[in-house]
Amino acid sequence: MQTNPKSNGLFPTILASTVHDIKNSLGTLLELVRQTAAKQDGQSAELNQLEFEAARINHSLMQLLVMYKVDSQKFSLDIEECPVIEIVDEAIHQQARLAGLHNIDLQVDCAADEMCYCDNAIISNSLAAVLNNALRYTHKTILIVVAEEDGYLTIAIEDDGEGYPPHFLGADLNDTAELDWVSGNTGLGLYFVSVMAGLHKNAGKSGFVQIDNESRLGGARFKLFLP
Amino acid sequence: MSFSLAGKSILIVEDNPVFRKAMRDMLYSLQAVTVVEADNGIAAINAMSKSSFDIVLCDYNLGVGKNGQQVLEEARHRNLIDYRCVFVLISAEQTTSAVLGVMDSKPDEYLTKPFNAQQLMSRLTRNFARKEFMASIDKALAGGDLSKAIQLCDALLLSADKKMHLHLLKMRAELAISAGDFDKARQIYHEVLEHRELPWARLGLGVIDFQNNNIEQAIAGFQSLVADNPMLMECYDWLGKAYEALDQYNDVESVLQQALQLSPQSILRQKKLAEAADKNGNLETAEKAYKSVVKLGKHSVHRACSDFSGLAKLYAKTNAADEALKTLEEMRKEYANHPEAELRASTVEADVYKTLGNEELSQKALLKAVDICGRMGNKAPRDLQLEVVKTCFLSDEHDKAEEILYDLIHAHIDDEQFLNDLRRMQSGIGMDNHSEILIQKTKQALIATNNKGVALYKQGKFAEALALFEQAILTMPDNKTIIVNMLKIMIHDLKVNEFCEEKNQRIKALINKAKQIGVDQHKLGILQMEYAKLRQSQTAKA
Repeated sequence: MQTNPKSNGLFPTILASTVHDIKNSLGTLLELVRQTAAKQDGQSAELNQLEFEAARINHSLMQLLVMYKVDSQKFSLDIEECPVIEIVDEAIHQQARLAGLHNIDLQVDCAADEMCYCDNAIISNSLAAVLNNALRYTHKTILIVVAEEDGYLTIAIEDDGEGYPPHFLGADLNDTAELDWVSGNTGLGLYFVSVMAGLHKNAGKSGFVQIDNESRLGGARFKLFLP
Repeated sequence: MSFSLAGKSILIVEDNPVFRKAMRDMLYSLQAVTVVEADNGIAAINAMSKSSFDIVLCDYNLGVGKNGQQVLEEARHRNLIDYRCVFVLISAEQTTSAVLGVMDSKPDEYLTKPFNAQQLMSRLTRNFARKEFMASIDKALAGGDLSKAIQLCDALLLSADKKMHLHLLKMRAELAISAGDFDKARQIYHEVLEHRELPWARLGLGVIDFQNNNIEQAIAGFQSLVADNPMLMECYDWLGKAYEALDQYNDVESVLQQALQLSPQSILRQKKLAEAADKNGNLETAEKAYKSVVKLGKHSVHRACSDFSGLAKLYAKTNAADEALKTLEEMRKEYANHPEAELRASTVEADVYKTLGNEELSQKALLKAVDICGRMGNKAPRDLQLEVVKTCFLSDEHDKAEEILYDLIHAHIDDEQFLNDLRRMQSGIGMDNHSEILIQKTKQALIATNNKGVALYKQGKFAEALALFEQAILTMPDNKTIIVNMLKIMIHDLKVNEFCEEKNQRIKALINKAKQIGVDQHKLGILQMEYAKLRQSQTAKA
């Protein structure tokens, strides 16, 4: 009896197709919500909430799909040299609507000609997920700072919210075997960005992430290190 | 942001009306005026043949018919869009060329759904800035002026634009390879790799090894590269080419299998797999691959009648005569009044009817094949001519077979890969070494002609040398060595003797001929560069 789809190796294909199909519907849903919201001048709190939730599902599915490809060895980074500001801008643009809704003041400190080597689509998507979190938990301001540190390029996202809860601060984000902290949207987003950072390698160094509550704005601070 | 879409003509290709409206609204909010919409691939191709677009926003998944990648391939293949057009491929998931099975045509940008106006705007701004920066080089390349492209690229490299520097270096190295200047290309790749281990630079070094005929070294490089970058599909293609150069078709087959497991949508790769597996006698793999080719070809600009005849031949080999005849029938429907298709069909039919014991129909098909082959002459693809030869031998039409063979060997005497195919065909029908004497004799004749021509050339007797080669080309049409030698002599002639328009025209015609018969780009590139320099100094004098 061949009832278990795994036994004929079709499961991965079915999984990928299903996720793809859900993403397609979700895209339509999201677009309809936007169009409806636009007709009502974006005043409806329920519609905004609906849009936010749909965007979140979309993000999670994208991450799931990438993680699945990593797991089945169908993934490798597409490393290119790219201006950092373009990566940061892409993340900000993805979250532009949310930032506008909450009236958040988004400040960026990044030199226009600062370059880095990375898979820019993957990194900007990961940053967008972290930024999404920051936008939800901050009060008024978010600061994005790009710098160089010990031979790494760092991109920090800082807010003026309440900071990360203790169980995140105690976790080793870069030990992807120890997954107690991976739950909820924040945890999943951090897990994703930490795996993606780790895939970036150069001259014996690997990328990683760090979180603490040392933000100069008084809230949480997320920091991505790219080799 | 100062960038606006006013004055840009834009094509939206999207089957979902909700997304189509969303994109349209987005574009109007960015001051777009000219927006054309298409809801399927064929409508998109029609729109592009009618007018030219600055921007094409094309969804990958267009329901039935062509997908977005196939729209792009057809648009580029048929020159419906040029180097100024920004083609954005949109899809629901984060996609890369590997996932979409891209082999030879990448879009300018990938965009993941859903996206908003800011994202679209920043991507378009970036692409237009890049295109504008590279426009002079792209224009020179589109006009076939390699030497001008190199000059412009060197000038831009000096302008020290940090953002574009690496992009320019990559372009410069590729131009150097096209011009046969491997030292320059190698130097650039090493310089890049000193800063950062980048797959394209590593790949470039392998390509140089390959072109320099250091095939083993190229293979070693490509192998370690795919080990670290399993999704670098280009690298599998180069590996396949390298194994092919060594006549190791088992390795060609396994490398293509590997690539297709990761990226099954590429019709060109499936074709190569089918051919390799066929050569190796792995009929099951070949059949499966040919079936995929026929299926993928349905909406692809890369489809060909040989896809059908390839599948039909396989059915014939596995004694599935009915399937073979059915496939040929389908092929005739798809390719009505197409001499090559008719030739392919008749050749396979002759074979199939023979195995069915129907001598009369077999003979009829063979006569038809020989007739079309004779009428097409050199225009009939050489693999197909080999097929006809084979069928002639099997049907005891030896005279006809030898006649075609004679021409084939003379035309392709300096193509060892083809000669190997020929030998394989003869071994396959129990005629080992049948043409060896003719091959050796033809080779010697070519060498003799070459030596004589080169000797005349060294004595400064250019006209005599050229006349000799002109004579030789009558008996060895499309011979690459002779064409290249003629070009060398004519260019040298320009160096020492005076310019005249007639010589220029002749050189241009020879360069075109060389391109046509498939002289390696880098071999031709060296001559093109030399010629361009001569012309420049000539115009400077005038």
